[in-house]
Amino acid sequence: MSTRRPVSRVPTQVPAENGANGRRNSVVLGPKDRLVGQLYIEGDLQVSGTVEGTLEATGDIEIAGAGKVNGAVTAYNRLVVGSDASLIGGEVRVARLTVEDGATFTGRVSMGAHKAEVVSEPAPEVVATPEPAAQPEPVTPQDWGLSTPKRKKK
Amino acid sequence: MDVQEAVAEGAASVENGEVKRDGKKQFSMGPGDILEGKLIYDGSVHADGRVEGEVRVTGNIDVANGATVKALLDGANVTLKGAVEGAVTARDKLTLGKNAKLSGDIQVRRLQIDDGATLNGHVRMGDFEHQASGQ
Repeated sequence: MSTRRPVSRVPTQVPAENGANGRRNSVVLGPKDRLVGQLYIEGDLQVSGTVEGTLEATGDIEIAGAGKVNGAVTAYNRLVVGSDASLIGGEVRVARLTVEDGATFTGRVSMGAHKAEVVSEPAPEVVATPEPAAQPEPVTPQDWGLSTPKRKKK
Repeated sequence: MDVQEAVAEGAASVENGEVKRDGKKQFSMGPGDILEGKLIYDGSVHADGRVEGEVRVTGNIDVANGATVKALLDGANVTLKGAVEGAVTARDKLTLGKNAKLSGDIQVRRLQIDDGATLNGHVRMGDFEHQASGQ
């Protein structure tokens, strides 16, 4: 489990090959394996065991066999929930989703439009609207009769 | 209770050939048909064209590919192949075909989602204790 890298909220470019053997990284949790906590995988993840916590993978996540996942799941690509598998989650964010008949599946699903944008850029500089000359201003030599708004000069 | 029937005579062919032959009634819409309002039906519904409102049936609901549905759907087996906006209750099984687009909360006993389908909403599976059939 990676402790230096908590669950990332930044979309990562999926490296085509980042596994030790030069292939795409793939992590398997077998039927007798159990995870409690958070897991972030650059690559694919297959779970046939029990997970209590949060899963995030840049590739595919497959909950196979009698795998049970209790928690939020984010797959940048595809999530497969097998026919004997169970996903009882909070948030499920995926690009593609397959749920096989017989699977147990509960949660809030969001597909497409992944956490893009929302960069809340500052509102574009709006040209200051001429404020109505509510209060009388002394006419200064700078006002040369142009139709520009009057500026406060102190 | 207003029940509007929009059966296209003769032309309403069921493309996927899932016509029930067990004596149940089938309400079948064609691609040019429009249903607006509330339909409560003792049988199955094949929805195509445009549907807006609410559809509650004792049998199955099947939404054709290309159909546009903005409605609450309540049926035993619900099979979606088109676009649906609204809550879906499947007392037995909900199937999202590969072209299905569902935006809404669902409550099901069984669920099958084919690769390619789009789902945005909350999924509840199992109990039907507060099934919204009483009205």
